[in-house]
Amino acid sequence: MLRYQENNELHRDFHGTTNTTLNYIADHYGVEALKTILRKTGHDVYKSIREKLAKGDASELIEHLNWFFYREQGKYRLSVSENEIVFEVFECPAIRHLRKLNLEPSPHVCLQTSEVNAGMCEGTPWRSEVKVLGEGHCIQTFRKEADHDSK
Amino acid sequence: MIPSDHFVRFYNEVFKFLDEQDGLQAYYEEISRHQELHCLRLFMEKGLEGMEEYWGHIRVEENCISTSWIEDGVRYSHMSRCPSLSKVLDNDAAPCAKYCLHCPGWVAPLMTKCGFYYIKYLRALDQPECYSVNSEDREKVEAIRQDLIRQGFRYIFTNLDDAAEVEANREKRHRLAAGKASAAK
Repeated sequence: MLRYQENNELHRDFHGTTNTTLNYIADHYGVEALKTILRKTGHDVYKSIREKLAKGDASELIEHLNWFFYREQGKYRLSVSENEIVFEVFECPAIRHLRKLNLEPSPHVCLQTSEVNAGMCEGTPWRSEVKVLGEGHCIQTFRKEADHDSK
Repeated sequence: MIPSDHFVRFYNEVFKFLDEQDGLQAYYEEISRHQELHCLRLFMEKGLEGMEEYWGHIRVEENCISTSWIEDGVRYSHMSRCPSLSKVLDNDAAPCAKYCLHCPGWVAPLMTKCGFYYIKYLRALDQPECYSVNSEDREKVEAIRQDLIRQGFRYIFTNLDDAAEVEANREKRHRLAAGKASAAK
């Protein structure tokens, strides 16, 4: 079950504010500071997902990916096996909305995915990886490390 | 992607970071410039009605519980449940104590740029309720400010102290409107 139940109206223009913020923090405080904020967002805001991952329960992560990309009309494919979750995004809703607003996507736009995902996995047996294949197209992988099963 | 539903919880993390760096004010000004994309033309061309249009759209999309109205050249707004602070309080991460300051932080510079006076007032920074007024009538807005002080509102944010800039921009807005009206004839 999702910690944050969201099913009302959607304000997609927040993607524009996120984009401006990514550029602002990177330009004024550096990319490492931006990564720290994003990773902390993943770690603290998504505590519920992280704590479940630590117990070997990926259900909220799967529900999170599916619900929020479905809700924002993303085009994606989600594949789940025991130790791996592969989430391929064919059209990122955030980048699609930035283009609609005539905003250039930040060079750091995909850090919001890679660092938040990494923050969700911190201290858990899961590791995340993001491969960007083109604008708005990426493969997000969450893989459970085998050696954690015996611990 | 940070879902747009969760943006404000990311915003909250940004505020906590920037507050430690004493960097909130400069960031608010950047957000204000960004918001010009959505608001500047609307406010410059339609004034208080443009504000009603913008925040009416926000009321729906952000699921606000609020009312607003225009009376005698003043726009009044009462947000009885701010969805932004509500989400930040319903959060596994700690809220930034200054969270509410972002709102006057970006709105006040935009109002000054459009030639309107503005007051945002709240009783507390940890309750999702606030009020605001907008008008190009300095005397009316100043009278409201004095009344709020008498009522004991603890948090009052305004651009009344930037009156020279507000007046210059108000004149500029009126000249633009007059120019458009004569061109249309």
